[in-house]
Amino acid sequence: MSKWRIIAKHEYMTNIKRKEFLFITFGFPLFLFLIMGISFVFLGGLTGNGENKIGYIDRTGLFESSNMTKYADEELARKDLLDNKLTNYFVVPENYTATGKIIIYSSRNNLANNMKIEDKIRDFLIDNLLKNEPSYIIQRVKNPVESEYFTINENGVKKEETGFTIIVLPIAFSLLFTLSIFTSSSFLLQSVIEEKENRIMEVILSSVSHKDFLKGKIIGLGALGLTQIMIYLIVAAGIILINPLALYLIVSQIHISIPLLAAGIIYFILGYIVFASIMAGVGAVATTSREAQQLAGIFSVAGAFPLMFSQFITLDPNGSFSKILSIFPLTSSTAMIMRASVTDVPLYEFMISILLLAVSAYFIVEISVRIFRASLLIYGKKPTIQELIKYVRQN
Amino acid sequence: MRTVNVSHLSKSFNGQNVVNDISFDISKGEVFGLIGPNGAGKTTIIRMLLDIIRPDSGEIRILDDRFSEETKNIIGYLPEERGLYKKLTVIETLVYLGSLKDRDSGQRAIMLLEKMGMLSHKDKKISELSKGMQQKIQVIAAIINNPEFIILDEPFSGLDPVNMKLVKDLIIELGTEGKTILISTHMMDQVERMCGRIFMIHKGEGVLYGSIDEIKASYGKNTVLIEFEGELKNIKGVKKINNSGNYAELILEPGADAGDVLRLLASMVRVNKFEISMPSLNEIFIRVVEGT
Repeated sequence: MSKWRIIAKHEYMTNIKRKEFLFITFGFPLFLFLIMGISFVFLGGLTGNGENKIGYIDRTGLFESSNMTKYADEELARKDLLDNKLTNYFVVPENYTATGKIIIYSSRNNLANNMKIEDKIRDFLIDNLLKNEPSYIIQRVKNPVESEYFTINENGVKKEETGFTIIVLPIAFSLLFTLSIFTSSSFLLQSVIEEKENRIMEVILSSVSHKDFLKGKIIGLGALGLTQIMIYLIVAAGIILINPLALYLIVSQIHISIPLLAAGIIYFILGYIVFASIMAGVGAVATTSREAQQLAGIFSVAGAFPLMFSQFITLDPNGSFSKILSIFPLTSSTAMIMRASVTDVPLYEFMISILLLAVSAYFIVEISVRIFRASLLIYGKKPTIQELIKYVRQN
Repeated sequence: MRTVNVSHLSKSFNGQNVVNDISFDISKGEVFGLIGPNGAGKTTIIRMLLDIIRPDSGEIRILDDRFSEETKNIIGYLPEERGLYKKLTVIETLVYLGSLKDRDSGQRAIMLLEKMGMLSHKDKKISELSKGMQQKIQVIAAIINNPEFIILDEPFSGLDPVNMKLVKDLIIELGTEGKTILISTHMMDQVERMCGRIFMIHKGEGVLYGSIDEIKASYGKNTVLIEFEGELKNIKGVKKINNSGNYAELILEPGADAGDVLRLLASMVRVNKFEISMPSLNEIFIRVVEGT
């Protein structure tokens, strides 16, 4: 077995058993689901799975309701509210038709429930105000716009999806994607720093070339990242299979297709190589793990940039900002996946983005290997920028 | 046959010559000493021998071949700065390091662990071992591939006397097996006892090279070794005294008579042993470094 394979296998087998890997791979998605679950349950409780018993006092004489209790006297309504016979009551003042003003009383303030109550009152008012109109007019007043968006380009006409899921799911997908890249590349950084700090690096380098050493680490930990993505996909497939609603959301709202998945793998591999090589260089240059984390943080922020601006990208996937992020090598892998999952990205943009990323990956690997070779065994002294440039030119 | 041939090797860092036009050979089966004060360039030479860093100029040949990746498989290395994977077990560590030398080293690891009295610890994590035990594992790791050429950088540093003897015996055994060994150390007495030839580097320059006997002879028989009881003071005709309590090395002034020195000594302390000798390697080392 070639030496880089031995190192790759060693890195893979050592890191797959690490608590950090297991936590990020299984714990983090579980944590996300838990948070989402808790907030749904909590929100469900807030919006009152319990019945809203609503009363009203009409001072205009215009309104009648079959499912709300009408009170002639506000004092009585207030008493029933305090006795928990009502959850809310509202007053329609005499000048309502002129002002539109309604006064609503509740036993407790609850924003989510208030919105629900307001919807019921709105329907009640419209039903009464338009009681002489046909039902379709009433329906249109209640819900005047059911919009559908289409984009027209040289490929034809295509329906664009809108809604909550279109933002959340690509962001969640990109988050896990970025997480895999960062997990693997940060493991690489830790591994280099650890071997540098515990001084075993010199023994390893007396057995293998610098290139095989880096190649083994990058491939071994890259395989670990792909394993993580596979686990995420299997979990997602499991959820889709047991939950028809999730299947509907994925199929109808998100443009995840086989070509996009293939592009995702290419972006993962290239994006990971870029970050892993940077981390290897950082690990070689840094004198302590703390310093390494600080240096790595600068690049990690650049990598996390698309996530920070994910709303902009998903809401305006064809805007200049989104396009720039999906072409710039440090951000393209995440930004392009995010864009492509909500809109049709022209093929030439994909080509430019992947080409730039591949070329950058090649040069970053070359530079990292040179820096790695020159500064790896220099302990206690961080090279200056000028020295780093010299190392890159010298080798 | 030469195992190592170093020819006109130079290396500089940030414009400073760390190694300057160094040449030496190491013959097959030889135990060779690479000596020099701290910062002289010894570790840089060793790293260049291992292709961890590349020379600016000059050439290194191992077994008459230019360095290739396969060359690394026949070299064993114990670095001065030592460390192991703390979370791996002893046997996992040795098998992994052996596999990096292209060897299936499970059986050899067991044999060497048994020889070093460490077999019962084979399934323990490195972090569970004492510092001395970790040192032994590192020594085993250096020879796990049954190397032709072994580089030992400060092999005795941090070892207690028992482990020091163990390592010394191992080096002697490897020497008798015909392995070529390069020892880099500050411990001149160990070099003197174990090595046939030495190369001394000082400020990046080669300053001494050859057999220890020849080097010592070139410094003349101007040294007296004594074993004594009492308090040793300045003696006429003695330029320098290296006093070790009951033993001392006296460096005579040029033209001084050893007989006169003995008479003066006898009047000062009780002399149990008196030997006219060549200077010790330690004395030569100090003279070279101090430029005297």
